[in-house]
Amino acid sequence: MNTAVPSSSDGKKDAGPRQPKKGSLRPSHWPFIIPALVVVGGVIVFPWIFTLWMSVNGWQIGVEQHFVGLTNYQRLLTDARFIDSMGRTLSYTALSVIAPLFLGTLAALIFNTKLPGRGILRGIFVMPMMATPVAIALVWTMMFHPQLGILNYLLSLVGIGPQEWVFHPATVIPSLVLVETWQWTPLVMLIVLGGLASLPAEPYESASLDGASGWQKFRFITFPMIIPFLLIATMIRTIDALKSFDIIYAITQGGPGTASETINLYLYSVAFTYYDVGYGSAIAVVFFILIIALSLLLIYLRQRTSWLLGDA
Amino acid sequence: MAAVQIADVRKTFGTTHVIRGVDVDIEDGEFVILVGPSGCGKSTLLRMIAGLESITSGEIRIGNRVVNDVPPKDRDIAMVFQNYALYPHMNVADNMAFSLKLKNAPKSEIETRINRAATILGLTELLDRYPRQLSGGQRQRVAMGRAIVRDPQVFLFDEPLSNLDAKLRVSMRAEIKDLHQRLKTTTVYVTHDQIEAMTMAEKIVVMHDGIVEQIGAPLELYDHPANLFVACFIGSPSMNVLKGRVELGEFITAGGVRLPLEKTPPSALGKPAVYGVRPEHLKLSADGVPGKVLVIEPTGSETQVVVEVDGQPITCLLRERVAIQRGDTISVRADPALVHLFDAETGKRLTD
Amino acid sequence: MSLAKIFRKLGLVFAVFLIVSPALLFFIWMVSLSVKFEIDNGAYPPILIPEHFAWKNYTSVFESNNFLLYFKNSIIVTGAATLFGLIVGVPAGYGIARMNAQKSAIIIMIARMTPGLSFLIPLFLIFKGLDMLGTLWPQIIIHLVVTVPIVIWIMIGYFETTPIELEEAAMIDGANRWQIFMKVAMPIAKPGIVVSFILSVIFSWNNFVFGVVLASRETRTLPVAIYNMLSFEQVSWGPLAAAALIVTLPVLILTVAAQRQIVAGLTAGAVKGG
Repeated sequence: MNTAVPSSSDGKKDAGPRQPKKGSLRPSHWPFIIPALVVVGGVIVFPWIFTLWMSVNGWQIGVEQHFVGLTNYQRLLTDARFIDSMGRTLSYTALSVIAPLFLGTLAALIFNTKLPGRGILRGIFVMPMMATPVAIALVWTMMFHPQLGILNYLLSLVGIGPQEWVFHPATVIPSLVLVETWQWTPLVMLIVLGGLASLPAEPYESASLDGASGWQKFRFITFPMIIPFLLIATMIRTIDALKSFDIIYAITQGGPGTASETINLYLYSVAFTYYDVGYGSAIAVVFFILIIALSLLLIYLRQRTSWLLGDA
Repeated sequence: MAAVQIADVRKTFGTTHVIRGVDVDIEDGEFVILVGPSGCGKSTLLRMIAGLESITSGEIRIGNRVVNDVPPKDRDIAMVFQNYALYPHMNVADNMAFSLKLKNAPKSEIETRINRAATILGLTELLDRYPRQLSGGQRQRVAMGRAIVRDPQVFLFDEPLSNLDAKLRVSMRAEIKDLHQRLKTTTVYVTHDQIEAMTMAEKIVVMHDGIVEQIGAPLELYDHPANLFVACFIGSPSMNVLKGRVELGEFITAGGVRLPLEKTPPSALGKPAVYGVRPEHLKLSADGVPGKVLVIEPTGSETQVVVEVDGQPITCLLRERVAIQRGDTISVRADPALVHLFDAETGKRLTD
Repeated sequence: MSLAKIFRKLGLVFAVFLIVSPALLFFIWMVSLSVKFEIDNGAYPPILIPEHFAWKNYTSVFESNNFLLYFKNSIIVTGAATLFGLIVGVPAGYGIARMNAQKSAIIIMIARMTPGLSFLIPLFLIFKGLDMLGTLWPQIIIHLVVTVPIVIWIMIGYFETTPIELEEAAMIDGANRWQIFMKVAMPIAKPGIVVSFILSVIFSWNNFVFGVVLASRETRTLPVAIYNMLSFEQVSWGPLAAAALIVTLPVLILTVAAQRQIVAGLTAGAVKGG
């Protein structure tokens, strides 16, 4: 990937003046990177490879480690609990992407105006995503309490009967999505706000001269121009929602029963409750592929839209 | 101080040839300006002298030493960058002291040198300011101060005035020239502005497309441009050129206008050629060539008149104030002794 | 005209209130829960501000359950992982930016996508094999998965924007590559170092999943400790909310105090992340 080893890169094409070349008098920058390479290799790349290797081995507590080929993967295909968790993960992710995306865009439009105390308000707005997830989860658990929780009291104020929230299989996923949305809408807001800040002023000025209304300006100018940012937000949100762990684990531990058990929680149980490391690794690999596949799809969409917008 | 010799230097980026064989001799203490349009390779050449770019082939010597493989820090040179490249996190004094501190120079010496440079450049009051608190001209001076304290063998300037406004540029021009006369350090200066080159240089190197078009003293280039490129590049407003052919004693343009010549170079006889005359060498004269006035631009000290001759706009620079209007027909005449002739194919000078 | 303007202004203020209130009300309620006695926390309708404040909720948190030990653990793990992340990540960001090797940063994008658990399984086995699980080292090391990518990612962006001429000037002034880095590049990129410091502190401090697996009773960090309070030791809400607030308070203070840097860092990272 790099062409920067000074002694071996003669005849390389298209090297800008920045790039060290043969006979260059600029010192190499490799020494700056090597420590990080060691660390990244040790705690990031090595675990990837090791996981892949473990996934084709039988590796359980009390059992001798042995090569089993694709058995672990075959087992996944018939594991109802895994397949259910997969479906749950996808619906949880879909909801946890759409809701923050919608609300975050709305919030960004509001924050993109001149208002007094914008910095402080933005600071408060961002707090949910920076706060310690487990601490947040504890308080939400109290708020979800069917008898004593404040949420049911608030519902009663508007005439809605008490709900069981995270304590009932039918409502547990939407309730967790509520927390996830509350927590991560700010990130979408920040990304879209960054996008709005980068928009040029001229199209708006000329649109005003053309007599466009506020809605028309949003529909025909703002929205098309922030699509790339919306796609970035979608991608980050998708990755994070798929990987969501702290909130779900701390509030429900995948319950009631397995009603909120996503892939990540199932993976945790298999690897660290049952200590079935080989099988857990296979789940991790499939999970990882799922994340990468969805990300690539979104990257592909982003490139297409940037191309359409002419700023690729 | 040292001489700089550039011998058959070439530079390629991949398949792009940026410098295509350049030879320049710079004498000890000389002020040399590399000038040319953007992309001609002048900055690359300067950066090669500095050691910021590698040399693909050829040789650069500073003093008696071939420096091709010497890193910048060991070349004993100082450079002033286009955007000054002042260290934003250091005040003026620290900016100037940086190179000396790296050399572990004794504190007292650093102080003496900084004070001397600050006095020369009028920076004494600004020593504890930060670059962001300075005006463009002051930053420029600090950048020069940083070069001066080093007391290097060669000063390199890379378009140092192009970020300044027009008025400041004129005064800085004088200042740099004055500085050179005081310090007598060999200086290589890059600019795309031919006026800067004409006013400051002892020797100008005109570059174009990675080669040297001509080397010479400013007025030599102005009076005897070696080729059409130099003729058109040096001088403002630039030289008028007309295509045509050379006959005995006269030049006949493509449109059949006859222009008298003082001497006819025998080799050029009957050949297609280019006729060049500087705007200030044209005069109003009844026996001249008639042309319709297109534009009149009086500046007070002189009047610039564009007339149409042979279907082409010809610029005349007249010292006198004239009572003519757009659309009038006037006659202009070139002094045959001051006319330049160039080969139409090669662009080489035909007269001498 | 001016009346319409006033209405628009009011509408905007209302909209802002609406959009900020879920966050604001949540944290107000969190504080309220933490200062109420059990009887007030169980009251219906709920009480926001109690007659008697239960300050003992806070004192009891500090008195009980090794809380100070866990606090110390959190500081050591976050501090060490952040410090090491900066020592390794800042030069790396510099090297990558200067070598124009931005493509190599894709590995960091993929690391960002990888579920934490898939780092945990192999590293857990190794730490177990090396018999390190009773110490804080496993957590410090695995927190590098969080801190190193954040630092590298942010620093690449900052070093890319520092003009190369400054370093060329330093080169001509006689600096070698370390001097250029230490005395020119790094001081100029100080804002970036601050941003990456803040973000890696926050994300390391908040991390839960690594601790759940790797921490023993003596090596728990705060998020793991309060989770365990919930499941094993405490059922009363007041002390629990107080503990939760203490755990997250440093992060919240940092967020509000440095919101500008955080916003800059997160959006830069996110926007570039595409």
